[in-house]
Amino acid sequence: MSKTVNGITIDDTFAEAFGMSGTGIIITADSMKWAKIAATVATGFGTSVIGAGAECGIDKELTPEETPDGRPGVRILIFGFSPDALIPQVRNRIGQCVLTSPGSACYAGLKAEKTMPLGKGTRLFGDGYQTAKKLGDSRYWRIPVMDGEFIIEEDTGVTTDAVGGGNMLILGRDRAGLLETAEAAVEAIAKVDDVITPFPGGIVRSGSKVGAKYAGMHASSNDAFCPTLRGTIKHSELAPDTLAVLEIVIDGLTSKAVADAMRIGLKAVTDIGAKRGVTRITAGNYGGKLGQHHYHLKDLI
Amino acid sequence: MSGLKLRFKAPATERINLAGITPSKLLALSSHEIARLNVGIEKGGVALGDAFDISGEAGETLTIEGATPAIDFVGDGLDSGTIRVVGNVGSFAARKMSGGKLEIHGDAGDYLASGSTGGMILVSGNAGDNLGGVETGERFGMLGGMAVIEGNIGARAGDKMRRGTVIVRGKTGPGAGSRMIGGTIWAEGGFGRDPGLMMRRGTLIGPSVESLLPTFVDCGKHDLVIIRVIARYLKSTLGDLAPKPMPLFVQKIGGDTATIGRGEILLPAG
Repeated sequence: MSKTVNGITIDDTFAEAFGMSGTGIIITADSMKWAKIAATVATGFGTSVIGAGAECGIDKELTPEETPDGRPGVRILIFGFSPDALIPQVRNRIGQCVLTSPGSACYAGLKAEKTMPLGKGTRLFGDGYQTAKKLGDSRYWRIPVMDGEFIIEEDTGVTTDAVGGGNMLILGRDRAGLLETAEAAVEAIAKVDDVITPFPGGIVRSGSKVGAKYAGMHASSNDAFCPTLRGTIKHSELAPDTLAVLEIVIDGLTSKAVADAMRIGLKAVTDIGAKRGVTRITAGNYGGKLGQHHYHLKDLI
Repeated sequence: MSGLKLRFKAPATERINLAGITPSKLLALSSHEIARLNVGIEKGGVALGDAFDISGEAGETLTIEGATPAIDFVGDGLDSGTIRVVGNVGSFAARKMSGGKLEIHGDAGDYLASGSTGGMILVSGNAGDNLGGVETGERFGMLGGMAVIEGNIGARAGDKMRRGTVIVRGKTGPGAGSRMIGGTIWAEGGFGRDPGLMMRRGTLIGPSVESLLPTFVDCGKHDLVIIRVIARYLKSTLGDLAPKPMPLFVQKIGGDTATIGRGEILLPAG
């Protein structure tokens, strides 16, 4: 039985999410502006593991008191299929996007039993002039660069308890209002620790289904939710007044964080959505057989 | 304080060697066995129970009272728990210590923390020569852990030190950081003559240095992020015992260029 909250229909369905591996990295710089530039570039092209190799995003901004070097910073999260799959992603993203960014430094952003290399490969950029400083359990590499030294911690934590693909589909009869509502939900989710929304601005407009009619395509357009196909396909899920659908995808370091993020996101949508033409909220799943984590919308309202 | 208490019966007829007398080792022994442990260095031996009045039950903490410089190897092999010493101790305190905490409420002799790999050492007074230094026949001096000395320290601190951190509230003697391979010595009272002889890597931080070897070179003034990282780490580990933060701009003196020269002496840029 679907529910109605503030005039918005909540489908009796669930978001189906997958177990993933995730890591956290703290990026600092002389100013928040430059920490964010490095973090934004390092997490760029990190939307879906299928095509981008990793799902990345900025988790939160950190005050100087919260970072290992007392400078402003941000924590980014990177998710992949396995710790091994994360290694080249982290190495390349940090090596190309953080090492190169003026004044940056890079530290472990996740304390976990398992660790993975952070600066282990990047340190070789120092060509023998790099030195290490071990403080407590952490080893920091100092790599001479043209604006001083790039500091990077040797390892960071990695968890295999992460969850990828928590999601909600927001349906509405006004495209502008729908986008505004989805933006508000992403903004609310951003306040939850340990989660990211990896798609552009946190929002996906090209939700996908598994498989395609073409060989070699692993995913293809979620036709049942494409408004322009309504009427011409038998399996359309959309009511006559639905003009557009936007999806928010959530990755988190723990299942609880993903559930919290979905709860807060759903609340943001139901709080302000009706006035902006939102009519219905549903979630993406594959019948429950593929993903280990199920988030029932009715439990999160 | 609970735990076993040893009260030294002075005067000692020979030097006392407390190597391996640690809370975790004593926990595994009966009180009878503890009293019979040999702590002498000569042929006849000296039983622990003859050199010390023993009271209390073995536990996480071992207290040694009435200590004198005749007692060597205090805290040798300490891996967990706390050894609290009231009085001065002899040489090789905290030798090959790997964990736990050694508090010396007094002065420490030579070779404090030689070969130690972990744990926390607090000395309320001064420490002698070769703090964290290499023992004859070994490759490295201090290999990890932290030592905080409230007073001054002697010559050649950190000789062949490889890792770990030494904080000196006072001043170091001559030749601090000689043959250093890594690690950090932060002397709030400044460095004595000619630090860093044949130093390969490692960091000496302080407000001043008496004289520099000619093989050390000025690398200019820098805003080093690693100084902030070290200061933040010390603050979180030591709290009020942490040294006062250095100015953000430091003068880097690199050396020893008589060897690979990756070491550094960091002074306030003035």
